[in-house]
Amino acid sequence: MSKTILIADDSESIRELVEITLKSAGYNVLKSVDGVDALKHLNGQTIDLVITDLNMPALDGIALIKEIRARQDYSTLPILLLTTESQAAKKEEAKQAGATGWIVKPFAQEKLLAVIQKVIR
Amino acid sequence: MDKLKALFVTEALELIADLERVLLEFEKDLHNEESVQVIFRVMHTLKGSASMFGFDTLSALTHDLETVYDAIRDGKIIATLEILDITLKSVDHLKKVIHDPSLGNSDLLKKHHDLLTAIKKVAQLHHDEIGADYSIGKSFLATYYIYCKPSFSIFKNGTNPLFLIDDLVALGDALVLPRMDLLPDFNHMNPGECYTSFEVILVTDKPAAEISGVFIFVEDACEIIIEKISEANLLLHDSFVARMKGDHDLSVAPFGLEIVMRLAENATVTPEAKSVQFVATRVDSSSIRVASDKLDELMNLVSELVTSQARLSLLAEQHGLAELTNVSENMEKITRRLRDNAFNICLVPIESLVIRFQRLVRDLSKELKKEIDFVAEGTDTELDRSIIEKVTDPILHILRNCLDHGIESPEERVRQGKKKEGKINLKAFHSGTSVVIQIKDDGRGVDIEKVRQKAIAKGLIKKETLYSEQEIIDLIFSPGFSTADQITDVSGRGVGMDIVRRNIESIQGEVTLTSILGQGTTISIKLPLTLSIVDGMLVQIGDSKYILPLTAIDKCYEIEARRISSDLSQKHVFDGMLLPVFNLHQVFREKANEHGVIQIIKIAYEAFPIGITVDQVIGEYQAVMKPLGNMYHDQDEFSGATILGDGSVALVIDTDKLIKQLTAKVVENNVLVN
Amino acid sequence: MESDILQSQSYLTFRLGDEIFAASVLSVIEILELSKITKVPGSPHFMRGVINLRGNVLPVIDARLKFGLPRIDDTVNTCVMVLSIECEEQKITIGALVDAVQEVLEIDRKDIQPAPSIGSKYRTEFIDGMVKRNDDFIMVLDLDLVFSQDEIMLLQNTEGNVA
Repeated sequence: MSKTILIADDSESIRELVEITLKSAGYNVLKSVDGVDALKHLNGQTIDLVITDLNMPALDGIALIKEIRARQDYSTLPILLLTTESQAAKKEEAKQAGATGWIVKPFAQEKLLAVIQKVIR
Repeated sequence: MDKLKALFVTEALELIADLERVLLEFEKDLHNEESVQVIFRVMHTLKGSASMFGFDTLSALTHDLETVYDAIRDGKIIATLEILDITLKSVDHLKKVIHDPSLGNSDLLKKHHDLLTAIKKVAQLHHDEIGADYSIGKSFLATYYIYCKPSFSIFKNGTNPLFLIDDLVALGDALVLPRMDLLPDFNHMNPGECYTSFEVILVTDKPAAEISGVFIFVEDACEIIIEKISEANLLLHDSFVARMKGDHDLSVAPFGLEIVMRLAENATVTPEAKSVQFVATRVDSSSIRVASDKLDELMNLVSELVTSQARLSLLAEQHGLAELTNVSENMEKITRRLRDNAFNICLVPIESLVIRFQRLVRDLSKELKKEIDFVAEGTDTELDRSIIEKVTDPILHILRNCLDHGIESPEERVRQGKKKEGKINLKAFHSGTSVVIQIKDDGRGVDIEKVRQKAIAKGLIKKETLYSEQEIIDLIFSPGFSTADQITDVSGRGVGMDIVRRNIESIQGEVTLTSILGQGTTISIKLPLTLSIVDGMLVQIGDSKYILPLTAIDKCYEIEARRISSDLSQKHVFDGMLLPVFNLHQVFREKANEHGVIQIIKIAYEAFPIGITVDQVIGEYQAVMKPLGNMYHDQDEFSGATILGDGSVALVIDTDKLIKQLTAKVVENNVLVN
Repeated sequence: MESDILQSQSYLTFRLGDEIFAASVLSVIEILELSKITKVPGSPHFMRGVINLRGNVLPVIDARLKFGLPRIDDTVNTCVMVLSIECEEQKITIGALVDAVQEVLEIDRKDIQPAPSIGSKYRTEFIDGMVKRNDDFIMVLDLDLVFSQDEIMLLQNTEGNVA
């Protein structure tokens, strides 16, 4: 069964790019525009991975991670953070919050898939 | 992709418009933190998307702007109208760049560079070279040792540690050894926690950076050691593989880098050299690993045998049968040899500890930004397993002190004309029936005057009284004493050298400190070889039998019973010297003999000798120590108990502690006339 | 059936003076005849000393003194109950000196009534409750409470260490 990945990013272009990349690799993709939207998908359905942007208008990436970790069903769900080089401090904060790993923007499509491979199989 | 690019341009233009709007708001109130947040966020999104879709020029400029607003957000730069002006100019510029991202128009190109320069100027940016320091060179096959201990809570990060191991294995040929020594018993196990650690021997031609890359997401969530242990493929060495695999007992603790390194060395040396190496390092290929509870059981059985033997000897003596005496004496010899052998098995070299010490020194010196050269000598010196366990924390504490307070910062050292690197030397060696562990540093040493002042301030000593240097130094071990001017994170927190001394004394050890100001400090820990047996003297006091440690006994005298008063403390003349004597009959509430003779045993107590009264010295006795247990925790004048030949129990007296208590009591009661 | 198992428990009864007490058999490891007790000077008065339990040292508590009853000389019936109790989350083994051990009883939880707290000649804070058997009342003990470390510490502090 193919794995389901939930994307949370307020940038439509990034969302689309990630979706195309993931679908081409055979993943199911769910999309959300921010943290609040993402949480709506976490209603008991099986999600294998969350990829979230750091800066989002409603509920940013770190708050989303904290929110997910607080939920019994998803406390060990892998979460990848989309970040940039300049946000090293945030990366630390995200790790503290329970992020599994991160993807540094800009990324090549192969890189994205390789990082996903590190956390789900 | 073009469709996506078009999507991006639309999106980017929206973002730029947003940015413009917020910037204008911000202009009205330069202290508005919320505006800064929004500006930063929008810039960040713009930069991220731009770089994704190949708009590098746009991304680069936005990056620099973002850095400025990040600094404003963190309060590192104060927002000025000048900054705002440049930002708005940049925004206008970005609107053009988005349609000509390659900056084909020369005016646009010039403008772009002017803006970049202006932004950098206002931000006074430190332009750190961001670049991976992966030293990519030609790689050859090598063997690496990798230790990975995931934190207990690693599952909570969504990490599956097995994936890490899979990734490692994918890099080459690997031997993976899971270690479950930390697995608690079933009732204490939390299924949400990770108790397994891994030791991996990896043979790969990939660079080390690629190995550490495996752990990129878990650097904080795992304890990781990656070390090249050989330029050869060690997995081809059967003896090495066999040693690493051991007996497949999962509960075995990790070997640790140092041991694996040694195994690696042994595996790769030439056959001739190999035999020499083996002798030198005591790594014997015929050795086996034994679970520690099996050893405990063996020791218990041997102890019981020794006790039964004592009983047999007693019976043989009582019955006076020549044949029985013969058998008993023979048994006694065998028992003694068996006992010595069993004790020997429980001795382990202290090098297992040294690895932990090295680790601490390494981590701490980094943290404290000090440069330390740590050398350990005599690491093959052996000690009883239980002593090793108990001495670890005190030594760690001493090392922490050493690094934190002892060794100066590199700058200070250079100023003092010392080498930049501080030196800490740990040396273990035998001294008679003890083992001494010495920790020596070449740091600033103990300032006797400072210690004295502080002790006075703390009311530990009186200002008028004269004390010798050693006496002052000993104050460091007093409860509540700490010489550091500031309490640091590393070794402050009120836990002082008094705890170190107490812990070491609890295993019948001694700790002393010597120091030369400006040149360094030496701390020596003297430990008994084993805790489980004491060479003692069996004595009778009233109705009870007690064991006194032989090492404490100096001499025995006889005195007429009637000359002993019922006072707790008294003085008598022996060998022309006045000897303070404690009446142990009184202390232990045993009935005193009024007739005949009383034995006075002269004890070598710290600086001066003290006598104690006993009724009879029965003889030497090898006391197998048994703990008195929690219930008698406060009775530390008894270090334990032993089972006598007739099956009864005799208490083992810790003479130092007993006399210390009694002296304190006497001083308190003002009985001691001095 | 199942509820029976949950409800009723086996208790060992023993005598101190005229009183009968019951202790859960789950805590009792064995009963020993009285052997030579080595006293530990300076310990609280109710700690009689230590004995040799197959090569290990077992502390022995005089249950009479612990419960505030007067001391009497040991008799042929005096014996040591070896108990395993939980103390500060640690299992420890101790011996309790009692006048005589009697029998094993099945006691139904619901038959245990609260103990009267006044007018007793011994300390009642260790009593879980009491049961009526024939004409006698049996005091059911909470052993973990009886031998809790705090209690021992407290007494030690008030009595001082070395005499």
